[in-house]
Formats: sequence, structure tokens, C-alpha cells
Amino acid sequence: MALLNALLLPLQAFNETVLRIGRGIAILAIALMVLAILIQVFFRYVLNNPLPWPDEAARFAMLWMTGLIAPTAYRRGGFVAIDTVLRTMPERSAAVLSLALLAISGLVLGIAIEIGWGEITGFLSKAKTASLYFLDGSFEWVKLPRRWMMASFFVCVVLLFTVNVELFLRTLIALAGGGSSLKELGPHEDEIMAE
Amino acid sequence: MLIWFLPAFLSFLLLGLPVFFALLAAPGVLLWLNGQEKDITLLYRNVYNGMDSFPLMAIPFFMLAGELMNKGGITVRLVEFSQALMGHLRGGLAQVNVLSSILFAGLSGSAVADTSALGSMLIPAMEKEGYTRRFAAAITAASSVIGPIIPPSGIMIIYAYVMGESVAALFLAGIVPGILVGVGLMLMIRALADRYELPAAHRVVISGIELSKLEYWFSFVLVRLNLGWLAMQFIPVGEEPSTTAQWLAFGGGLLIAHGAALGLRQVFSRDFRMVCKRAVIPLQTPILILGGILAGVFTPTEAAAVAVAYALVIGFFVLRSLSLKDLPQILSRSAATSAVVLLLVGAAIAFKTVVSLSYAPQILAEFILSLTENPLILLFLINLLLFLVGMFLDAGPAIIILGPILGPIFTDLGVHPIHFAIIMSVNLTVGLATPPMGLVLFVASAVSGERVESIARAILPFLAIEIVVIFLITYIPAISMTIPRLTGFVN
Repeated sequence: MALLNALLLPLQAFNETVLRIGRGIAILAIALMVLAILIQVFFRYVLNNPLPWPDEAARFAMLWMTGLIAPTAYRRGGFVAIDTVLRTMPERSAAVLSLALLAISGLVLGIAIEIGWGEITGFLSKAKTASLYFLDGSFEWVKLPRRWMMASFFVCVVLLFTVNVELFLRTLIALAGGGSSLKELGPHEDEIMAE
Repeated sequence: MLIWFLPAFLSFLLLGLPVFFALLAAPGVLLWLNGQEKDITLLYRNVYNGMDSFPLMAIPFFMLAGELMNKGGITVRLVEFSQALMGHLRGGLAQVNVLSSILFAGLSGSAVADTSALGSMLIPAMEKEGYTRRFAAAITAASSVIGPIIPPSGIMIIYAYVMGESVAALFLAGIVPGILVGVGLMLMIRALADRYELPAAHRVVISGIELSKLEYWFSFVLVRLNLGWLAMQFIPVGEEPSTTAQWLAFGGGLLIAHGAALGLRQVFSRDFRMVCKRAVIPLQTPILILGGILAGVFTPTEAAAVAVAYALVIGFFVLRSLSLKDLPQILSRSAATSAVVLLLVGAAIAFKTVVSLSYAPQILAEFILSLTENPLILLFLINLLLFLVGMFLDAGPAIIILGPILGPIFTDLGVHPIHFAIIMSVNLTVGLATPPMGLVLFVASAVSGERVESIARAILPFLAIEIVVIFLITYIPAISMTIPRLTGFVN
């Protein structure tokens, strides 16, 4: 138990800090999405002169918003699942099944990390975005590499993986009888508003 | 071999694996067993490409607009307006609950948001009036399913994207079915009113309401602009009118609208007019969204962003009900809920690739057609299947999973894709209120404090009427197809 707690506590602190920063950036990203599209609406319909960058910039912001805040939702139980079987099982059996499910999720995420790294460092990553620019070291405007967009999903799976490990350790601790000592993970986000 | 990914997927799902992981694990394992490791990379790429979409951006925007409106206190205004209109009917507050849901649907498109926002206000009020708590919770849950049927609708955006249909056509196709569900529920309330001796009805018009000057004039202008535009449509200006002629017609429309508004002032009391005026600002949102899309001014995504801007202007400057410190929480909630949906949609796109690689739709189509080739009977069977699925799975994930499998089969049988989309969306949306796993039942239970089981029993008459509506929509395509056809969004 002491070993499990020793493993959990630093990971918990890491996740809390990183996800808090992620949430902050995600909030900024959703605000920027709105702003970009409104600028486009103004230029397209009022000035009759559509700009090339707002649509892509908004997609850029949306991908990073998703990548940085989805792990928070996962950590707080916001990923949709049919938990009927889990709820009808005795506590210990449910914990064992939860461990198995977390192991499968971890496997999926582990493979995704491996593929994701290949994607952002491989051939496809050399492509440039269509209309987004940034100032490089020599103060020249250059097109943004596409891997800056693709990295959003890679970061997402990495963060999901660290959350998954944390959830796995928590379930192990609960199985060993230390559930009452576990810290709350924040408000339960089970409301999927698209419904 | 690959066809086994469907049973594997269902097993993962039933064991409790989150849908996002199940959508990737089942096809991934079978691709690996099949020696198609390279296609696993394709799965990853498709999740990313699936999320990297301009039309999908409408989801976070509509969620954000709904959150801003709700936080800005528009729920109270809609309920007061509904009370003033329908409070005098038998089963008054229950009828108000349904009408409020119809109006709320035009803003949020979420059954969960509807249940929590309207339920927290109306369930205690209904209890105070003498309704049982379980009846109040049941009608709140039953009427909330109108939310995702009447546009804007999150699940319709998801369906349109996953299946490659037009969001605008789906939005338009949902209007009549949504209203039909509402009317059906109102009729059922009327029928139950005598049987259960529901409290006597009386019109409630809140008195002594004062509007700020800014809100008064804002509503004043909005009403005249809307009515003026409507009146302009009836002014003959020829086939290809000049800009001057159009402006003159609009001016004429404005005069007619102003005259009509002055006339109505003589008929209705000041209190009634104030309650209506307070509802003008929230009710302008669906007009802005649908009007913009129909007029070809905005794409659905742009309309959603405009709705956010409108909600911000209203909340901060007109009603002054929002403050800067509210924003981080609202933005964070909208971002988190939409991120989950976007990941699911991305995974669904990846899943869809394996569905097509496995020939599952063809094999399933052969199986389904071996049962009967009569499309009417097949539609009946598919409704049963969807209803059963809806009892255990939420509408969004169910659409993501079943859309790519069932959609092509019925399109091949001659059912219009938009018609099938509405059948599927309405059926699965009603599933949100069906026991044992109906999401809104749990939300209604949390809001009311009533046990889920007793709400599930009380909701049965309302579910019966919703099932009747599903079959009406299924067998009378004109219910959903007329508006998209008239507006030219469907050929």
C-alpha cells in the first residue's frame, strides 16, 4: 500500500498541475475559436472579402482545446461508458474488472503514443499549414508546420495515458482497502451536453 | 476474420469500457490479428482527421451559446412567458413545462441542459402547486427530449458529420417532429389531468415587471425587425426587384409591424406585454441561427459563433446578468463537454473505416433483408432495435456507432438519408428518457431528489406518446421532409 501511495502521489500532483494548465489553455483556445470565426463572418459578409486564415486558425485552436481538456474529463469520469455490469457487481469484482478495462485503455493509449510520435516526427509532419504563419528566429514570416496541429492529438493521448495510470493506481489502492484515503478528483463531469 | 470486430466491440462496450476506447480497441485488435498492422496507424490518423473539421466546430459553439444563455438567466424569462401563454390550460404548469422545453430547444439543443435548467425551476414550483414530485420530474424528463430534436441540435451535427449529410437539412427536418412530440405530450397531460385530478389551472402573469431602458428598446427594435421582415415577404415587388424596391418593401413591412404592435398594445395588459418583451431576447437566438442558415448568410458553424456573440452581448451589455468572473467556468464546461464529443466523433470516423473494410454493412444488410424485403416492416424492426439500444446507450454514441452501419442499408432500400437520420435521431433521443439507463432520468432524479425508479414508472404514459410520434415520423416522411424540401435543402 505504501508503495502504491508513493507512486500515486507524485503522479497525482503532476496530473493536477499539468491538467490545470491545460484547462487554462483550452479556455483560451475556445475563446480564440469564437473570435476567429466572428472575424471571418465580418470580413466575408460585411466587407465581402474573406480572409484565408480564420477557418484554419479556429480548427487549430479546436484541436488543442480538445487535446488539453479531454484528459481532465477522463480523469473526472466524463467519458461515456455503459457501467451497468460494473454497478451490479460486488465491489471487489467490480474493482478487478475496472483494472482490466483500464489495462485495455492503457494498451490502446500506449499504441497511440507510439504511432503518434511516428506521425509528428515522420514524413507527414513535414507538410505546412495552408494559411497560418509564425515569426521564426530570423524574424521572417514562415508557414506553420502541420505537426504543430498534429501534436495536439499526441499530447492528448500522452495526458490520457498519465491519467489512465493514475486511475489504475487508484483502483489498485481501493482494491487493497485504501479507498477512503484517496483524494476526490473534482466534480463529476458526466453530463454530455450534446445529448 | 475482420467481421468479428463487431461482437468484440459490443463485448468491450457491455463490460464497461468507455466508448472512445472500445471504438478503437475492437477494430485495432482484429486488424492486428489479421496481420494488418499498418491499418492501425490509419485508425490513429482517422481519429485526428475526424476531429480536424470545420463543421464540427458548431458543437462547442452551440454548447457555449447555450451555457451563456442559461447562466444569463434566460430560463426564468422563458418559463414566465410560457406561464403567461399556457398557464390557464388544464394541467397548467405541466403544459408550461412542455412549452418551455420547446422554446428552450431553440437555444440549447441539449436534453441534459433542458432537464437541469428547467427542472430545477419547475419541479419545485409544480410540487408547490400540488403536483406529485415524481409526476413533475417525469414530465420534465419526457419533454427535455425535444431539446436535441428541434434545432440547434448537437446530435444532428454529429450525425451529419459522420454520415456526410447537410447539417442545415437535418436541422430543418427536426422542426416539425420536435413540435409534434411537444403537442403529443400536451395532449397526454390534458388526458391525464382528469384521471389524476391535476391541480386547477390559472393563468399566471407576473405583475410589476420593469425592463431596463436598453432591454426595452432592444426588444422593441427586434420585434419590429422580425415582423417587418415577415410582412415584407407578402409585399409584391416583382421577380427581380432592385435594391431600392427591396428597401422600400422592408420599410413598408416595418410600418405594418409597428402598426400591428400598437394594435396589440390595446388588446393585452401591460404585465402580459412585459412578460412577452422579456422573452424576445432569448427567442431571437433560434431566429438568428435558422434565419442566418436559411437565408444562406451563415454556415451552421458561423451561425453557432454568431449565437455565441449574441449571447455575450445580451449577457454583458443588455441584461447585464453575466460578469467576467463567470466566463472561465462557462468556457471550461463547454470545452470539456465538447472535447469528449469531438474525441468520440474522431474515433467514430476511424471505426467507420474498419466497418467498410470488414464488409459488415453488406453482411448485415443481407441478414436484415433475409428477414423481410418490405421496407415498412424493416423500418418497424429497426425502430425496435434503436429503441432497445437507446435504453442502454446515449444518443450521441449510439448514432456514432450505428449510423455508419444502418444508414447505407436503408438508403439502398429507398429511404431518404435525411428521413432515416430523423428516424434514428428522434428514436435515440427518446431513448435518453427510457429506463434503465436514460441519461435524463438520472439528471431529473438528481434535480428533483425523487428516485429514478419512480420517475421511470411515472414517465411511461409520456413515453407511449413519444413512441407513437416515432412511428408517425417513420411512416409519414412528409412530417420531417416537407420543410427541407420547401426550402430547397433536399431535392
